[in-house]
Amino acid sequence: MGATAIQTKDLGKRYGSFWALENCNISVPEGSVSALVGPNGAGKSTLLKILVGLSTASDGAVTVLDKTPLQHADFLSDIGYLAQEIPLYRSLTAADHIAMGSNLNQRFDEASIRKRLDELSIPLNRPVGKLSGGQRAQVALALALAKKPKLLLLDEPVAALDPLARHDFLSSLVQAVAEGGLTVVMSSHLLADLERVSDHVIVLAAGKTQLCDDIDTVLDEHWLLVGPRGHTGSLNAGIHIIHETHTAKQSTLLVRIDKGTKVPTSWQKQEPNIEEIILAYMGQAKEGGVR
Amino acid sequence: MNRFAWRQHRKQFLIMGVALALFAALVIPTGLHFWHVYQQALTTCKQNPATPSCGDLSGNLLQSNIDQTLLHLLPLSVILLPLVFGMFWGAPLLAKEYAEGTNSLTWTQSVSRRKWLTVKLAWVLFATALFLGAFAALTTWWSKTPNTLNLNRFGVEAFFASQGLVPVAYGLFAVAFGIMFGAWFRKTMVAVGLVLGLFVACTLVTVPNFVRPHYMVPITVTAPMGPNLLDNKIPAGAWTVSRNIVDKNGKTLNSFSPSDMPTQCAQLTQDIRVPDGSRVAKLKASGIDPVDDCLNNAGYHQIGKYQPATRYWDFQRIESGIYLGLAALAVCATYWLVLRRDA
Repeated sequence: MGATAIQTKDLGKRYGSFWALENCNISVPEGSVSALVGPNGAGKSTLLKILVGLSTASDGAVTVLDKTPLQHADFLSDIGYLAQEIPLYRSLTAADHIAMGSNLNQRFDEASIRKRLDELSIPLNRPVGKLSGGQRAQVALALALAKKPKLLLLDEPVAALDPLARHDFLSSLVQAVAEGGLTVVMSSHLLADLERVSDHVIVLAAGKTQLCDDIDTVLDEHWLLVGPRGHTGSLNAGIHIIHETHTAKQSTLLVRIDKGTKVPTSWQKQEPNIEEIILAYMGQAKEGGVR
Repeated sequence: MNRFAWRQHRKQFLIMGVALALFAALVIPTGLHFWHVYQQALTTCKQNPATPSCGDLSGNLLQSNIDQTLLHLLPLSVILLPLVFGMFWGAPLLAKEYAEGTNSLTWTQSVSRRKWLTVKLAWVLFATALFLGAFAALTTWWSKTPNTLNLNRFGVEAFFASQGLVPVAYGLFAVAFGIMFGAWFRKTMVAVGLVLGLFVACTLVTVPNFVRPHYMVPITVTAPMGPNLLDNKIPAGAWTVSRNIVDKNGKTLNSFSPSDMPTQCAQLTQDIRVPDGSRVAKLKASGIDPVDDCLNNAGYHQIGKYQPATRYWDFQRIESGIYLGLAALAVCATYWLVLRRDA
């Protein structure tokens, strides 16, 4: 892929003596849809807030669309952000929010957002507090998209939605991505959903980056090795164990294999799916315990 | 940003507009009524100076229950108005945005946080000044009759604090601190509680009792012991800051009980109850209190301090200046809290 939309170097965020995010190194290519996954408290929201300039980093460097995140119109106009609780002014209507958007942005596609909400049959003149959760999420997404952003950051947007609303939301997202020119980073717990829409994955656990790569590359590099128990010592240097499970007789290893490394014949190679790989990385961070 | 600020706050402006209209509906007719009663009394007394009530108009006019209730309650409620603004306009302004997360919605539109805050502050502070200005103007006009009748707009806290410039300054103070507490603690109820506590402590207790008397050096008068002797030396309309009795060494007496008096005078307080001493009887016949006479001979006298009526507007200006200064501090702190802290 071409240019990078987001680049962080040793990014850290400290609250008091607690590091919510530490040595975070990610690189997000332009035009990709990145899944940001990790357990609760992994620092996903913290990272997204730093990327949009709502929080300031305590350590390290961050570049977003070739700029340093700043609460400034030049920077903000290229970024759409949807916070975790999908905040909207509950007593104001969707139409009020559209008016707000066109009032607070130099570039705001009022016609398209009206059309989009109309297609979804979301009433414009009802206070958004009286809409369903799914409708609110759609309003919030439409608001973010109407800014015509180059980068869209979504913090667990579907967490509170029922399966149907979730499906609709992701469809809207996929449609927006298909229209082109948009880079998306979306955090979620729902791995299956992410797999559906994303082509790039960032695993964050215990405040650190565990994995950050294109899904295709990740799938190419990772293997499940099944072999007799107690033979892990026989593996060569280019094979990195991410996660291992053992039964009485055999061991199952999830490994990352460097290019060109041969696997000993005593091990049987299987293709893991992305979900297994992500879980393995999250498990690894957990076993790593106190860093 | 302005259009959005108007959309967000128009409801509260509307409610306050209705409240102001209701207030005017109460104040204008009663104010006219008071003035009319007073003018009528003046005319009567001019034509017929022998009318018994003319000697003491302030003691005789507007004595009905409803008039008295109004004269007492209306200024008191106007004193509390700035607090209402602080609690309902100031405290939730930012606290609600933080609590509901809507700050992260507006802060990620293409407007800097600084501009967002400036516009919001400008709207709310300007509206506060405008509305409280209107309330204060109506109250000042309404108070014209009691002001001229009783000459107590300077000395009585409820009248001083409900008229002129100070209500506006109190309002900006309360609203600015409400906003600041909201940005600090991010919870509306906490900010409401703090603004309530601050207003009661500062505006209702500390400033009128312990700070205001010292804005300018008061004028000191002395008088011998005796009823009304000190009061007669304090001009009408002045604010009497203190009145004390001092002994011949100039020492202020904390209490004035027989135990603080020289023995011979303290004895006289006993004698009066059994009025058969000839000296006492003679003094009483001449209208002089024997105890006062004794104390005067022992070198006791009264000292009074007052701020003359001419200083009324100086005091209004000084007090307003102090509150506006405090409000400005709170606004600066709000900028710091909003711009420096994470969302």
